[in-house]
Amino acid sequence: MDSSVTDAVRGADRADRSGQPARRSRIALPGFAGRMMAPGLLVLAAVSLLPFAAVVAMSFSRVHLLGGLRLESVGAANWTRLFGDPDTAWAWARTAGYFVLTVGGEMALGTALAICLWRLRSARNAALSLLLLPMFVAPVIAGLLGRFLTDSTFGLYAWLLRQVGYHGDVMADKTTAFAAVTLMDVWEWTPLIALIALAGLSSVPSAVLEAAALDGAGLLRTLRHIVLPSIAPVLLVALLIRSMDALRYFDIIWNTTGGGPADATKTASVELYETAFRFFDFGYASVTGLLMLAVTTVVARYFVRLLERKEPTR
Amino acid sequence: MTAATAGPLERGTRTSRTLVRVVLALALIWTLVPLGWMLLSSLKPTAEVTASTPDLWFAPTLEHYRNLFGGANNLWPYLSNSVIAAGASALLATALGALAGYGLARTRARGKKHLSFWIISTRMAPIAAVVLPIFLIFRFLGLIDTLPGLVLAYLSFNLPFAIWLLSAFFAEVPASLEESAQVAGCTNWQAFRYVVLPLTRPGLVTTFVLCLVFAWNDYAFALVLSGPHTQTLPIAASQLVTQTGIDWGQLTAIGTVVVVPMMLVGLAVRRWLVTGLTMGAVTGE
Repeated sequence: MDSSVTDAVRGADRADRSGQPARRSRIALPGFAGRMMAPGLLVLAAVSLLPFAAVVAMSFSRVHLLGGLRLESVGAANWTRLFGDPDTAWAWARTAGYFVLTVGGEMALGTALAICLWRLRSARNAALSLLLLPMFVAPVIAGLLGRFLTDSTFGLYAWLLRQVGYHGDVMADKTTAFAAVTLMDVWEWTPLIALIALAGLSSVPSAVLEAAALDGAGLLRTLRHIVLPSIAPVLLVALLIRSMDALRYFDIIWNTTGGGPADATKTASVELYETAFRFFDFGYASVTGLLMLAVTTVVARYFVRLLERKEPTR
Repeated sequence: MTAATAGPLERGTRTSRTLVRVVLALALIWTLVPLGWMLLSSLKPTAEVTASTPDLWFAPTLEHYRNLFGGANNLWPYLSNSVIAAGASALLATALGALAGYGLARTRARGKKHLSFWIISTRMAPIAAVVLPIFLIFRFLGLIDTLPGLVLAYLSFNLPFAIWLLSAFFAEVPASLEESAQVAGCTNWQAFRYVVLPLTRPGLVTTFVLCLVFAWNDYAFALVLSGPHTQTLPIAASQLVTQTGIDWGQLTAIGTVVVVPMMLVGLAVRRWLVTGLTMGAVTGE
């Protein structure tokens, strides 16, 4: 530590002791906590605030990539275009549908799975470890694997479907393609919900369960009136975590259907990617990006609020 | 818990116990069949990978792996790019995250709430919305197709994650420990380095592993920001999908190479996985 920093520390200490307002001393001389945060926060600002400023600027510009990078201001043209664009409206509707189906399915299945695991006396850890595996699979591999399994000529699942009488090409039909990408997401992320819900379940007090048993409450009533209410805060955390990631990733869709057939699986992320990197319209893509950012910011806000009254999740 | 005190959930009727086993068996099949099929297919001779009827009896071969690591589509550069980019970003995120997370856990500054919110919202920003401006900025700075660029891009999601998660781990360490260390003559830094840090080793390892998994599995950033010199394994996998057809034997082999290491490191920290993946909001055990 060089002498100027040591002086700063002493200065900070003196300011604290002399009862100076904390606000003033923090601005003038950051304390130990502040200095610890500085490097991380500087890097974070570089990789988040700078891009944010850039994407806002881009949303009001036409971006020229060839012959030197250049932003040409177009006012609010990109934004007004948004409101007259049925394609974007449809992409958002599909995003909402995909979101509700994947996250809803994962929540329901994950909670059910956690309850089953919780009731398992032996081999619970082994079963959990195996069930968690999809979570570690790179989404792009999950997508490609899904494509392999549903391939109409040699896919294992396509073959199974043929045995039960379905002969179509899963990825060629709008409805089945949408169902397939939904199920791939459910396959990959249900384990996450199960893991979180199981952590909540193991903190349900056994005294309450015993009391319920003494009062003659059956299994379903116990689940509904005791177990579910007591894991509700944990389930909420699971829901928020999953919601944010559901909006972040698009690897599965991009690598299976690419948004098709006939745009049936084109969600907002996929549309953004196409607009930017296929049609090189970065300005309009930025508008979509900012909208998506607004949605996740609301979720994040709620998450932070939830943590502020943390005691129910502990 | 003894059988005598067990509630209905513990005791259970025979039917409900059977039901639990059936549900779990189905869940295991649904979970493991795709992974098992990927592994099996990667060991099949090319002709049998795409056989129209599923084939379980075949002469196992390592030809796809041999082709990947020795043939024309050499995978080594992709592998080393993946290891460097994911490893460096996880390491940097954990190091910077440990400092900043400690600061965040201990600061009494008024803006703490806003600071926390900014950090978490950075982590949750949609990748597509982040990669767009980063692409332009990197192009301007000449960072496209460079490993430092990729590492920096990965920090955009790994750093806020590491700060937030480690701050949850540090918050569990009672501040009185540092105070007594300071009474014993330690500086702030020494108290952090020799008292707090060793106590949070599980947190540091979990953070590193999860950052590694996130970066290793990334596709969207690498797709846009990497070039011929910096492509990672997920990009190599997706590039096997061509207009003329897909070599599924090779693809399942790459899939196995991408997936298995992350499963191993992920399960190694299973005890802290809940805490890690909920960023400290839920604690397990």
